[in-house]
Amino acid sequence: MKTLLLLLATAAILAAQEPPAEPAASPRSRALELAGAFANDGYKIRDGFWTGTLEPGKPKVLQVNLFSGNEYWFSAATLSPKAKLSVAIYDESGRPVEGELFQDGSVAAAGLAADASGKYFIRIVLAGEEKADFCLVYSYK
Amino acid sequence: MSLRCLFLAAGLAVLGSVPLSATAPLTKDEVRTSELSQDVTIPTPGEFFAAVDKQGQPNWTQIFAPKAAESTASREQMALMLGLLIADGYIAVEAQDGQGVKNVGKDIINLAKKLNVSQSVLGRGNSISDFAENNDWSALREELEATQNEVKLSMAEQKDNDLIILVSVGAWVRGTEAASLFISKNYSPGLAGLLRQPAIVEYLLAEVNRLPEKLAAEPLVVQLREQLAAVLPIVQTSGRAPLTPEAVAELAASMASLVNSISGGAKSP
Repeated sequence: MKTLLLLLATAAILAAQEPPAEPAASPRSRALELAGAFANDGYKIRDGFWTGTLEPGKPKVLQVNLFSGNEYWFSAATLSPKAKLSVAIYDESGRPVEGELFQDGSVAAAGLAADASGKYFIRIVLAGEEKADFCLVYSYK
Repeated sequence: MSLRCLFLAAGLAVLGSVPLSATAPLTKDEVRTSELSQDVTIPTPGEFFAAVDKQGQPNWTQIFAPKAAESTASREQMALMLGLLIADGYIAVEAQDGQGVKNVGKDIINLAKKLNVSQSVLGRGNSISDFAENNDWSALREELEATQNEVKLSMAEQKDNDLIILVSVGAWVRGTEAASLFISKNYSPGLAGLLRQPAIVEYLLAEVNRLPEKLAAEPLVVQLREQLAAVLPIVQTSGRAPLTPEAVAELAASMASLVNSISGGAKSP
């Protein structure tokens, strides 16, 4: 009986406690959420990430080094609900490369199968009226 | 799996995909002002090895030959050795050598302790051991990168920023040594093309050149700078051409010499 009472008391204490708070969303958590879609297809998500603040119409460009034969997705996000984000990939001479694009308001991604090893550029652009913090993560397989 | 299927599987809205050829080229100004991020611009050894695996069948068990971590009071040598060990961890994962990963994980933590990194890094050692116990190779790749980033973060918190780049250099040197040794013995243009990494060498060299005078004058750092400068023309081929067999052999010898110097001339245990 003592054990039963102890169990009931423990259950009551646990029930009275508030549920754990959801961690606050961040541009990184949203970018990781998007990248998670590719993880289902065998893509590994890099732990490293690129963050900053984007102003509308003022793109930011990041250099990356990709390997021939690997496939990549670059996923970006902001928290601004009115933002329209886009991501694109360019070769070392600045020409756009063939691949796939995904864009859905404040999240966007670009993917490619690298046919040559070396330097590439990732360009991220924000359309809208307000500046916004962003995060970009990348996945490969 | 197509992009549409991927997004549907994840329950995300699909708006479609468009060819990137519809996009305008980058302007000269955009290329000139493009940013570099140590955490993203430098690929992990795991990413490099994934590309090597697609074009060759390396016997990673033979390649996995970690150097015994030499006892040293030199913080720059310890930072470089940490990088070597992290790359060794990736090689052990490729070899699917659970005990090897655990041993490397222990060495990483012991060395990190000497550099007074935070408690959060030490917890990574247990995770590495647990994942190795369960042969969870995919999780181990992520954990190794996370450990490296945590070490760098901890160094930044301790105002040890100058050592951070040396961890990245150490990992790149060991990863390149392992791959170039394999490619020199199993040459193919496809494999040799993977060693064409001028942007990485330029970036690492620029960061090493920025080190404070006192640190830059240390013999190991001097050797590092000289050898990075020497390999830059080797990995900088025109028109995205692969490295020649002679260039691969030269790169492998240079990287092996650096690994030997960083590990204090230690032999494999």
